[in-house]
Amino acid sequence: MNTRQIGVVFRKELMDTLRDRRTLINSIVVPLIVTPVLMLGFIGAAIYIARAAIRANPEVMILGAEHAPRLVESLGLSDRIKIVPAAEDYIQRINEKKLRAAVEFPRGFEENLKAHPDRSQIVKIYWFEEEFRSREMVREVQRQITEFSTRVVTERLSARGLSDQWVKPFTTKRANVAPPERVSGNILGFIAPYFLIILCLTGAIYPAMDLTAGEKERGTMETILASPVHRVELVLGKFLLVMLVSMVTTAMAVGMFALSALAAGRMFGQFDPELVLTVSAKAAAAVFFLILPLAVFFSAGLMAISVMARNYREAQTYLGPLMFVVILPAMASFIPGVELNTRLALVPILNISLVSKEVFAGNYPWGIIGLIFGSTLAYAVAALFLAVRQFRREDVLFRT
Amino acid sequence: MIEAQGLTKVFRDKKRGEIRAVDNVSFRCQPGQIYGLLGANGAGKTTTLRMLATILQPSFGTAKVAGQDIVSEPDKVRQSVGFLSTATALYGRLTAKEMVEYFGRLFGMDEAALQKRIEEVFQRLDMNEFRDRRCDKLSTGQKQKVSIARTLVHDPQVMIFDEPTLGLDVMTARVIVQFIRECRQRGKTVIFSSHVMSEVEKLCDQIGIIHNGKLLTEGTLAELKQRHSLDDLEDIFVKLVGDGK
Repeated sequence: MNTRQIGVVFRKELMDTLRDRRTLINSIVVPLIVTPVLMLGFIGAAIYIARAAIRANPEVMILGAEHAPRLVESLGLSDRIKIVPAAEDYIQRINEKKLRAAVEFPRGFEENLKAHPDRSQIVKIYWFEEEFRSREMVREVQRQITEFSTRVVTERLSARGLSDQWVKPFTTKRANVAPPERVSGNILGFIAPYFLIILCLTGAIYPAMDLTAGEKERGTMETILASPVHRVELVLGKFLLVMLVSMVTTAMAVGMFALSALAAGRMFGQFDPELVLTVSAKAAAAVFFLILPLAVFFSAGLMAISVMARNYREAQTYLGPLMFVVILPAMASFIPGVELNTRLALVPILNISLVSKEVFAGNYPWGIIGLIFGSTLAYAVAALFLAVRQFRREDVLFRT
Repeated sequence: MIEAQGLTKVFRDKKRGEIRAVDNVSFRCQPGQIYGLLGANGAGKTTTLRMLATILQPSFGTAKVAGQDIVSEPDKVRQSVGFLSTATALYGRLTAKEMVEYFGRLFGMDEAALQKRIEEVFQRLDMNEFRDRRCDKLSTGQKQKVSIARTLVHDPQVMIFDEPTLGLDVMTARVIVQFIRECRQRGKTVIFSSHVMSEVEKLCDQIGIIHNGKLLTEGTLAELKQRHSLDDLEDIFVKLVGDGK
């Protein structure tokens, strides 16, 4: 094996790839645009749609309004509630999602509050269980009712010369002690690892196909095999290029992700002041470092598979199902409460997904990080050996 | 000089089982001569030539190419071989010059010698007009010239041509045929495969007829005519291949 030959192959493949529009668009441009669009678009659209949905047409029907004039008046003051006159078909209208909820007061509700303070009364709220807008409306209605209820208690207490403290001896208060980047890291940690792993794969797919199956399709495989370059040198030179593209894609994705997170914080912070999205440079660097052996694994693995194909299209049919094999473990970060242990640290792809989530949240379990780096590196080396072996097999290179 | 001794290539096919694509083939080609390997499609020509060019490894037997053994010294063999076939395409996104440079570098040539050699070859093949144009923008004739330049860049002693004129128009094929003749004039050992009788008749000093992986007969055209008592290469071919069945 001669490193000079590997360098010659690598430089040629680099030049070749830089002139290949298909690879450039798929590996560099798409992730560059897709990341921020997905990120900003997704968060933005989610916030917008949710808010618009909550605000649009917030109709609530009051049944027996005449029994609760004071409460109905305060409900009517809320800008999130629009009271509609009582009608028989309220259940149907809730089911048709035309009406968010209906509130039913018992006969003599407010009079009984005064006259029979020890009698228990039930205010019924009809809703569409777990329907998003209905749920938001019920939450608002209940907030108003609780406020009214507190007012009634205060009145009763003051009638007896007692203060609120009599029924509410103490209060609790929550205070956030986590730094803001760790709070946002928890949010980003859910989605970021998935995107990074998928982009690392996407970055490698096109050059891996182009440099193996593409070479066969264009008839240059035989040309290069007749040259003095060894098959090991050839596969390593090609592999280095595929890995470079994968890493560039991932690095840009990490960068774009950080920028999008910042922009998302700026753009949507006004709607939700608690939404602070930042990624520390340390976390970005650590995640990128962890993705490196994954890039080796993907690049070598994809080459080992796509070199079996006779042409580009065949390679695509081989790699298509592979996407699912990668997507599933990559989505591990979506599942809340999965604890990273030494056994999970050995599962390829899934381990990177889980540990990246930790790192984004500001946790650095160095032992596990080392184990994951090591195990991924081991898988990567195995994939590389497989790729080299494939390039030595005549039946793979000259498949007809 | 090429000396093939009992070259055999066995492929394993899932449906058809074991196939002897090349079966115990021995022959000899001398420097300054053109050896023509004549056979129908699938006769074993390409596999034989790929083994000589060390692209495939023989299952049994071996060959000496330019004094080196193709099994034990494949690297040295490649240094002295130029291999050209219709299947050896060009890298479309490289320019003509970059294409030739790439192979020169893979042959381990140093930059100064490589540039000098490129000037020489491009001059000789009249390629300077399109040297910086990308290969996929070239005409078929220009592409053939780039392929020729690619096989010549390391100045090999042995040239292997596998159906080099297959699918080419008359004018482009002439460029190749002319080039093969030139190789002979320069004292190179040339082996050439074809299924076109007239081409083999015109070009070759020695002719070997191959069928179903076996070399059925070999000799000069005159020797073949005498041996088989026929006056036409095509008749000889049909007779031999017919007997082979």
